[in-house]
Amino acid sequence: MQDCRPPLARVRPDWLGIAVVGLVAAGLGLLGVNVILNMHAAGLTPGYGFMAQAAGFDLSESLIPYTAGDTYARVIFAGLLNTVFLALASLALATVLGVVMGLVSVTPSPPGRAVALLYVELFRNLPKILVLLVLYVVAVRGLPPVRAALSLGPAHLSNRSIYLPTVLPDPSQIWLILPLAASALAALWWTRKAARIKRDTGREWPVVPVVLALIVGGPLGFALLADVPLTLSLPRLERFDYVGGMRLSVQFIVVLLTLGLYHGAQICEVVRGGILAVPAGQVEAARALGLTSGQVTRLVVLPLVLRTVIPPMINQYVNLIKNTSIAIAVGYSDLMSVSGTIINQTFRPLEMMLVTMGLYLGLCLLASSLMNRVNDRLQARTARTAP
Amino acid sequence: MMGAARPPGQRRERLRKWAGTPVTALVSALSAALGLWVLWRVLDWTVLSAISPAHPMAICADAHGACWRFYVEKSRFMLFGTYPYSEHWRPALVSALLLALSGLVGLRITGRLSFIRPRVLIAAWLVMIPLVFVLMGGGWAGLAPVDISRWNGMPVLLILSVIAIALSLPLGVMLAVLRYQSRWPVLRRAAVVYIETMRGIPMVTVLFVGVFVLPLTLPPGTVISPVLATLVALIFFHASYFAEDVRGGLQSLPGSQDEAARSLGLSWGQMMRLVLLPQALSRSLPALVNSVIGAYKDTSLVVVLGIHDLTSTARMAFSEPGWGGFAFEAYAFVGAWFLVSCAFLSWVGRELHRRQGAQGG
Repeated sequence: MQDCRPPLARVRPDWLGIAVVGLVAAGLGLLGVNVILNMHAAGLTPGYGFMAQAAGFDLSESLIPYTAGDTYARVIFAGLLNTVFLALASLALATVLGVVMGLVSVTPSPPGRAVALLYVELFRNLPKILVLLVLYVVAVRGLPPVRAALSLGPAHLSNRSIYLPTVLPDPSQIWLILPLAASALAALWWTRKAARIKRDTGREWPVVPVVLALIVGGPLGFALLADVPLTLSLPRLERFDYVGGMRLSVQFIVVLLTLGLYHGAQICEVVRGGILAVPAGQVEAARALGLTSGQVTRLVVLPLVLRTVIPPMINQYVNLIKNTSIAIAVGYSDLMSVSGTIINQTFRPLEMMLVTMGLYLGLCLLASSLMNRVNDRLQARTARTAP
Repeated sequence: MMGAARPPGQRRERLRKWAGTPVTALVSALSAALGLWVLWRVLDWTVLSAISPAHPMAICADAHGACWRFYVEKSRFMLFGTYPYSEHWRPALVSALLLALSGLVGLRITGRLSFIRPRVLIAAWLVMIPLVFVLMGGGWAGLAPVDISRWNGMPVLLILSVIAIALSLPLGVMLAVLRYQSRWPVLRRAAVVYIETMRGIPMVTVLFVGVFVLPLTLPPGTVISPVLATLVALIFFHASYFAEDVRGGLQSLPGSQDEAARSLGLSWGQMMRLVLLPQALSRSLPALVNSVIGAYKDTSLVVVLGIHDLTSTARMAFSEPGWGGFAFEAYAFVGAWFLVSCAFLSWVGRELHRRQGAQGG
């Protein structure tokens, strides 16, 4: 509804609203006084000074160097990084799984549809925490101990961790940022050029392979030429555990699988809905124009599906980011479990929960605003090409 | 349905369905293999390699399949946890009452049992909620008092899901109305901030606030049990999700409803109560049912706080020494319960969708 009041209409201030909000604020203030009283009784004063103290507990895994002597602030940062890492990995898994199952759920094959239906119904009707706990029992009981780890080439899987080969970190690798930036710029230029050529002449130039080659090949070539050390570190079995390589804990794998499966089922429904919402007339018209079935999918169906699917997908992604907090149930050191430990150690629930909620809120807002921007650009592009 | 004499074309038709294109054939083959494998494993675990409940527990130790005797031994523990054994009829009665009332509400909103007035149902809830706490807590009419820390299993799950949902619905409707109206812009803004903040944070953090921060905000010396603190946190959390569903319903109403109500001389309150809200609520019912399913399933997250709902008592049942091998039996129990109860809720949701589709609205 547009504002159609005459411009001189007097706007009454919202006294009722101000009074109610004032009352609520006063109530919150009263609760705050109680907090201060209760904390004084426990010999504490509210404040964030404790953040600079040494945390004194160890993390099972961390993406940044961390020792028990580091500050609480650093521990929280390490937990936040773990949450982001977990969220990104689960997003990728859930999207792949969801899209594949969504496609299977609309195939003409009856067994395919049955399996997709079973998958969706199972994960939509079970609580995610139950899935997580069951998978954790399966992983801890079902996988072999470290000494008898299952090996697939250089990767090893035991009931404690998965060990993967990785590149040894080296300070001079920071110089790889230069060729990476150059390759990214070149890739951007190439994408724009290909789009321009397609608009002007209609010719299709390869975009994805060229961009991939640039992004991977640029830094790699630079590393070879400039002799930046890229030593491969393979995990090998020492007396009690594997050393070297990258170690992902079984907790991480279990949470990753849970979130991937759980949100995969939700995304499957989103994708299925999007595909079924494509009007049959569009497909028939495309066929009548003589497009092959691959072209119909790529040029007609996919763009239409993408447009309807992105808003609910953003919802799913934001939910997934929030749901990473269930990792606390199996003890993966994400933001939530780090702040739980800090609360138990310092008895500062109010301060810690404010920080934790703020960080989750920030993450979710960041993710949704990023994806909304993608969505806006996509909608704008389809709107521009439409007559 | 298998006809006696199938026309010859039908078999080719079926083949085309299963293996029309190479991709379809591949999907069919993979899915059939996966489906058969899963089916075989489930059948093997539940029946073929399973131990019948007639055998003693000792035989179960090295069995590959399910140990059905486990349920004979442990189902009461998984249902009611450490509630005094001789008093188990009380949590059982509470669970039955809560389930019956929820089932009635579910059936009523699908259009069955239309002789029950909504007012009667609301009154039943108002009586039921205090009754549940009185019956579980005891301490009157000769009932032994039972400390809230010993309320475990099914009744805790139902209290934290059903009662939290029942109490957060009115709050959610209020928030939705506040966010929808434009008469009091400050209130509207406050509702927006509240709803968006609650929806932007994980439920686990809200539960933590309930259990760790809420006791701090009470006057010194007051004690609140974790179950009650969680209940309060859940009410405030679910309300924001319900509010968005109801707002969707309100926004889908045509503006003419508003104008017609005003031209009849209804006040703002009358318009909301008599014209807009009833229609908006019935329009938002399918979305509400979806949120209810989510809220009901997520209740089991309280396990991370050490509150003993059904998932947690199941975990306790196999955590004792000597019972470690029965984790799958215990979790299968919880899983089966959630599958059955969620199936009922989804059925309610589908019925609502079907009815609204038929109405064309």
